[in-house]
Amino acid sequence: MYNLFRFIVRYYLLLLFLLLEFFCFYLIYRNSRFHQAAYSNTGNALSGRVYSTSQNVASYFYLRSISDSLVKENASLRARLQESLYDTRVDTGSVSDSSARRYVQSYSYIAAKVIRNSIVEPTNILYLDKGSAQGITKQMGVISPTGIVGQVVNVTEHYSAVMSVLSKDFKVSARFKKNDYFGYLRWDGIFPDEAILEDVPKHAPVKVGDTVVTSGYSQLFPRNVMIGVVKKVHAEPEKGFLDVSVRLTSDFGNLNYVYVVNNIRKEEMQQLDSVINPPKAH
Amino acid sequence: MIAQIPMNLFRLIVLLLLQVLLFSNMRFSIFVNPYVFPLFVLLLPFETPRWLLLFIGLGAGLLLDFFLGSWGMHGAACLFIGYARPFLINIITPKGTEFEVSPNLFAQGITWFSIYTTVTMLIYLTFYFVVEAGTFYNLFWLLLKIIGSTAVSVIFILILLYFFSARKKRKYA
Repeated sequence: MYNLFRFIVRYYLLLLFLLLEFFCFYLIYRNSRFHQAAYSNTGNALSGRVYSTSQNVASYFYLRSISDSLVKENASLRARLQESLYDTRVDTGSVSDSSARRYVQSYSYIAAKVIRNSIVEPTNILYLDKGSAQGITKQMGVISPTGIVGQVVNVTEHYSAVMSVLSKDFKVSARFKKNDYFGYLRWDGIFPDEAILEDVPKHAPVKVGDTVVTSGYSQLFPRNVMIGVVKKVHAEPEKGFLDVSVRLTSDFGNLNYVYVVNNIRKEEMQQLDSVINPPKAH
Repeated sequence: MIAQIPMNLFRLIVLLLLQVLLFSNMRFSIFVNPYVFPLFVLLLPFETPRWLLLFIGLGAGLLLDFFLGSWGMHGAACLFIGYARPFLINIITPKGTEFEVSPNLFAQGITWFSIYTTVTMLIYLTFYFVVEAGTFYNLFWLLLKIIGSTAVSVIFILILLYFFSARKKRKYA
């Protein structure tokens, strides 16, 4: 007992150090970056305010590139106007009920400004300046004019946190535009413009330069949102799947305005899902 | 000792703001992330009790974590340099040197400070990036990141020190 006491007195500094270090690792373990962004509301509200102030100043420096991207997006939206479409329906003279609309809205978009961004961390979290007051909820997809961005993981009243595609935990189903072969996209963890498309069957005809878009299978994104182009295709003999490396089209280092995707029919889909995969009782 | 508190508190706030609003937004490359915040621990008075160094290091690190959203990582790294600091100072300081109250660029000299800062930042960033990655899988990229970030951080720290250190005459030239 006396020896133990002497040991503690002698090495108290080292023991204290190890104890505190242990405490830190406990914190790291409990609050991985993803969980911290997802659950800590106080951190978000306070640091969100600081970042939005600093971003307000910084956004003036990006005005030129913002207006460029807005002009481009306007052009692509204009192309989708009713006026710029050709109606191929043949009017047969039958009487139709005017309330039966041909198209129903199934996705709506909430524009938001990025107030904090990072691309160098293992799990990159973006902060947006819109929150639950504007209708954003958890689990919504986020897209930019040039491609997908990520998924909302936490919302406060006026801010929301988005786990970007550049995150260890992010996974989304993606398909090739030219055919319907699909796989799962995840970040390779190093370069901010590269991701890996996994689980693509070996017999799929994939070439360098093919376009990769969202599949619409997950409820995060509508179908055919741009993701990237195929950069390299690698087939390992012992694996049944291809490793496809994809160059992302979203410029994650230069995000200013993004759109949060509101899937209006999500609940209906989830109901269907819960019938097939009943949630486990807790 | 008590007289040092306001100055250090002020330094803590300034470095925190610089780190969060400026240096953490500087993206030269994914391999170069400058960190100047550890300068706070570097400049604590020489006479700080070692147990207090541990707690100050931990507290300062956790404060940075709060703003960068990385719970515990900077805390663990700052705690580590707080623990290592007395050993390091013992090793690199010639015997019989008389100290000022706190480390000072013009009192200790540029050579001493360069070694002090480089070694500390190397320890800090190695610890931080390894914990952050949680793996040695991309060892080459990890090393590149540590070396690149350390070099740039040390340059920034020395520039900050050069402009903001009190210019006293060196006692022992």
